[in-house]
Amino acid sequence: MTRYIVRRAIQSFFLVWLATLIAFTVYQLAPGGPIQFLDDDPTSTSADFNRLNRIYGLDRPVPVQYITWLAGEDWPPANETWRSGRCLNNPDRCGRGIIRLDFGRSFFFKGQPAIDVILERVPATFTLAFASLILSVLGGVPLGVYAALHRGKFADHFIRVSTVLVNTVPHWWLGLLLLIFLGGYLGLVPLSGMYTVGDGSLLDRLHHLILPATVGAIGGWIGFSRILRFEMLEVLNQDYVRTARAKGLTERLVVWRHVLRNAIMPFVTGLSGIFLLALSGSVLFETVFSWPGMGRLFITAVNARDFPVMMALFVIGSFLGVLGVLMVDILYSFVDPRVKYDIVK
Amino acid sequence: MAEQSLTLPQQKIKAQAQVKELTYWGAVRRKLLRDRITLAAIGLGIFMVAITLAAPWIAENILGFDPTDTNLRIRNKPPTWATESWPMFQEFATTCQRGGCEWSLWGGIFSSSAAGLRECFAAAPGECHWLGTDDAGRDVLTRGLYGGRISLRIGAYVAAVSMTLGVFMGLISGYYAATWVDDVVNAIIMTLSSIPLLFLLIILAGTFPVFRSPEGLSFLLGIFGWMGVSRLLRGQLFSIREREYILASRAMGASIWRLMFRHMLPNVSSIIIVVAIFDIASAIIAEAGLSFLGVGIGPPNASWGNMMSGSLGSFTKAPWLVLTPGIFIFLTTLAIYLIGDGLRDALDPWIKNE
Repeated sequence: MTRYIVRRAIQSFFLVWLATLIAFTVYQLAPGGPIQFLDDDPTSTSADFNRLNRIYGLDRPVPVQYITWLAGEDWPPANETWRSGRCLNNPDRCGRGIIRLDFGRSFFFKGQPAIDVILERVPATFTLAFASLILSVLGGVPLGVYAALHRGKFADHFIRVSTVLVNTVPHWWLGLLLLIFLGGYLGLVPLSGMYTVGDGSLLDRLHHLILPATVGAIGGWIGFSRILRFEMLEVLNQDYVRTARAKGLTERLVVWRHVLRNAIMPFVTGLSGIFLLALSGSVLFETVFSWPGMGRLFITAVNARDFPVMMALFVIGSFLGVLGVLMVDILYSFVDPRVKYDIVK
Repeated sequence: MAEQSLTLPQQKIKAQAQVKELTYWGAVRRKLLRDRITLAAIGLGIFMVAITLAAPWIAENILGFDPTDTNLRIRNKPPTWATESWPMFQEFATTCQRGGCEWSLWGGIFSSSAAGLRECFAAAPGECHWLGTDDAGRDVLTRGLYGGRISLRIGAYVAAVSMTLGVFMGLISGYYAATWVDDVVNAIIMTLSSIPLLFLLIILAGTFPVFRSPEGLSFLLGIFGWMGVSRLLRGQLFSIREREYILASRAMGASIWRLMFRHMLPNVSSIIIVVAIFDIASAIIAEAGLSFLGVGIGPPNASWGNMMSGSLGSFTKAPWLVLTPGIFIFLTTLAIYLIGDGLRDALDPWIKNE
């Protein structure tokens, strides 16, 4: 057990390191270089370019740049090869490396530390993701259970057909339609944002949250209900279910105690992707609903070629994703006593 | 002499029984022809492909617009037939927001729309914008047709790339199951499935302009979309590789390639076909998402995704910008899903559906 956890932890660490490598490679290979955004300003000259290259330390060898980006530039020798111009001029402004949560300063947001720009937007993303998750579990689990218990009947077919229909369009497009109809024409929900400026009350926030969270939950409803229906049907055919019925338990007890508890197991593994799903979903849903979260920040950063923020978001996103998978794997081994990890097939 | 006496009775029986042998593909075709929903879906699919392929002809001869002709005087105009009814509908929406919906307005909306439609049917090409204009005054329907060319092309390319990669990886890891080759493939899959791929796609497409052409974007979507197929095939091959016929051909000295491509691949071909079809649909949806975010197909080319990207500021004033591409996507992917679903049943022709 411990061995399994340690092995998975090492793997996860390796994955995050790989993500930093990917981010850094893209940054180095970007056409026109990392400070290509200067081209957008017609008054910039090649002298500006050289100056900024020195300040940001882009004139140093690539491996050095990678190492200092990872581990900071305040510990290597204080010379031009190892330190950026900013760091040489003022030791307080040395990069401290992403292992100490310093992702550099944003190009686009007036030199603010990238991590601050991101942290500002974390609560919005988490609020939306968490609300969506709760809604999707609250909706998806009963749907799946109901479909399984009424297999082959109208309700089952109806649920299946509607999930296929919903999957044929992008979910963010459905969000856009609902926004136009409910927000634009009926005026039932606000058109954008997280709260009305000047009114931060809970009710107002919930009012803004309801549509984005519902649309975000659509994917979960479909996914969860499908997994659960499948698992329920598997378990319903087991001998112990027949035994439970034969000994005269009520149907309710059979379903809740014997079927659902066993069917929910594989469902937990399905949750491992939830972090990644929430992050990916955040990009599109936050754009549609003008939600001030990390996803929208990411698009802003990409369009402005703001590499520090972009890379930071990618590394943090990968970290969260890997962490989510790891946590669920470990949790799973505690929840299901039958799982033995040290035996490899 | 002895041979003759042996074969004769058999031939006789064959002639008497007149049993027509049913080949696998014959059975598939028979099952498919009985499945009305799938046939309708195939019809819809053919229709969508046909109107997008014929887009230049339709645009020139029926609609009379060019997909890239901008006209700033007619930005975000409603469909020509709704010129009068659209303001009425907006008035209706305003009354609804104030509290009481003014349902009597609908009479006027219907009658003026009908009159407009009649006029539009009678109009010469180039006079009627059937689905309105976008924020640069381009005809939305024309762009929708042209956009389909790119979106469908991307769907097909992505399916080709991800299938090739996925089948290859799946075959290798299924064949070499539980060896280091399998471990390597699994490690790649695990890496790709634990980093936020959408983030990576956006970074790559946003940073390198190469990936904003239909071919580049398809390549990008394809190389990050093969993991599902590979995993599926690996699981299937796990049982196939233990079968007797594999053992037999291995005993006869068949090479790895022969084993993989002659004996294993045909046994999973039905799965591959079905997954490839579903892949086209998800690629179309993925392309729409990326282009909507502004990191996919860029202007002046039209794709179903980027037609919506300009609508964010004005979607309540010009909902046709959102509706048109979305309905195109819906019809196409619906056809693809239903065809895939029907094929999945048909490719298992010996199993009777209850």
